[in-house]
Amino acid sequence: MSVWPAIWLTVQLAAISTVILLIIALPLGWWLATTKARTKPLFEAITALPLVLPPTVLGFYLLVLMSPDTALGGAWLRATGDTLAFSFTGLVIASVIYSLPFAVQPMQSAFSTIPKNTLEAARTLGATSRDAFFSVSLPMARRGFITAAVLSFAHTIGEFGVVLMVGGNIPGKTRVISIEVFNAVETLDYRTAHTVSFWLLVFSLCVLTLVYFLNRRGGARIG
Amino acid sequence: MADTLDFSIALSRGELFSLEAAESIPLTGITAVVGPSGGGKTTLLRALAGLERTPSAEVRFRGEIWDGPGDYLPPEARRIGYVFQNNTLFPHLDVAGNISYGARRREVRSYDAIVDALELGALMNRSVVGLSGGEARRVALARCLASNPAVLFLDEPLAGLDGARKSEMLPYIARAVGEAQVPSIYVTHSMDEVTTLADRVLGLSGGRLTGWRTSPARLLATVTAVSDGVMRVAIDGASGEPNSGQVAEIALPLIAGVGERVELGLPIESILLSAQDPGRSDALATLPATVTQSEGGLGVDVFGQSLVLPKAGPYAIGSLIWLTILRVLPRPVISDSAENRL
Repeated sequence: MSVWPAIWLTVQLAAISTVILLIIALPLGWWLATTKARTKPLFEAITALPLVLPPTVLGFYLLVLMSPDTALGGAWLRATGDTLAFSFTGLVIASVIYSLPFAVQPMQSAFSTIPKNTLEAARTLGATSRDAFFSVSLPMARRGFITAAVLSFAHTIGEFGVVLMVGGNIPGKTRVISIEVFNAVETLDYRTAHTVSFWLLVFSLCVLTLVYFLNRRGGARIG
Repeated sequence: MADTLDFSIALSRGELFSLEAAESIPLTGITAVVGPSGGGKTTLLRALAGLERTPSAEVRFRGEIWDGPGDYLPPEARRIGYVFQNNTLFPHLDVAGNISYGARRREVRSYDAIVDALELGALMNRSVVGLSGGEARRVALARCLASNPAVLFLDEPLAGLDGARKSEMLPYIARAVGEAQVPSIYVTHSMDEVTTLADRVLGLSGGRLTGWRTSPARLLATVTAVSDGVMRVAIDGASGEPNSGQVAEIALPLIAGVGERVELGLPIESILLSAQDPGRSDALATLPATVTQSEGGLGVDVFGQSLVLPKAGPYAIGSLIWLTILRVLPRPVISDSAENRL
């Protein structure tokens, strides 16, 4: 049994999810880092929920939400002729929600470590607040952006529970690597389980080393 | 239109601190705002710069309304320079990138004179992350001046530097500010910085202005010789030429070349008065002076230059006294302010 379709599917899922996550996390992380709104703790909590909820609980709610009986699932079915649950699109939505904290938190902390004075200095030098955001905040938060991208990608590669709940186990469509390992063990195909697990382990180690390496370059000059 | 910065600011930060200040500051030379820490100096400067929004503030710069009822000009539109207490250099840009940041936005093409005055030419391609404390201050000052501001706000620009670094920085500030011809408002609690730099001094304590203080005593002098980081200066005579003759020249750290003029700030606590010639001593210099005024400070004439010292003494007008100078803080002549005073 070839594991390549599962690997290819996983990489696609992780790449698409990461792009979407970055688009969401950049403004959300910036807002959380700079807002003085009283509701901020609530939004921080919502963002962090996927860290503490069991993936099965999250997956269950997403499955319910995506069922054709609901507004979202129904609209999707009418628009595409396919159910959202057990589809690749459903998997992407689930991954984005599941990995959200891994994208938002590095962005938030990167934006919040920029001293207020540094942005004020940009303003006194003739930059509008918008200009200062693009010419100072974004470049200074660059490492947070990279960390967010790497962690989102890696975390999506490794997810299991949510994917199983929302996507099921359809070869070539929703069967990702982690499920492939699960299947291999179920069918006592330990050889495949060993091989896939080993390379996933190596991949994860490399990714985390990269993240810590990037963080270590603390104040070093970028670019 | 009045060449002044007029303001009336009232704001409070909880129960503990409130600032109420109204004044008209002339826009020439360097105006020092002096007072103890926590007295509201930084808050005042931030309010003037538009960084601290206060609904009731009124600020007018050369008649242009910066703050007023229903009016608020954001900081980027005020054409100011602001040197912060802490390091606010942009870590993702090199020294040249930092200096050109404001210049590009205000379409200033050339700022070589500023870079030269602050001796930053050799640092232009360096990262700002590895700079020493003094270098970082010079870059921050250059970044402000390169954007050609109409007024410069300096908030304790030497905070955190040790004594030697401070004395090194002071002439740089004087020279760069003189080069850029930009009126400056300089906030500090250090009388040494005031004596060296300020053309006028405004007190601020407990959130209230305490009025204008006597300008620091300062004498014009001309550099007569330089060697090994030391310059010798002679105090100018009535004609503006270096006085020749009886007075010992003063040796000081090098800040100007032969023939150039400097201003000597005299810290008040380092001037001793005596009715008779004290003779030779370890002092930097002993200057003969004629008493010209005894009310509201002691006015004296030194080689034709007038000084008013905030001191009192039993000296009759017209009598000869001696000033023993223990310490001198030199600065380059800041062009237009020097003429104003003479």
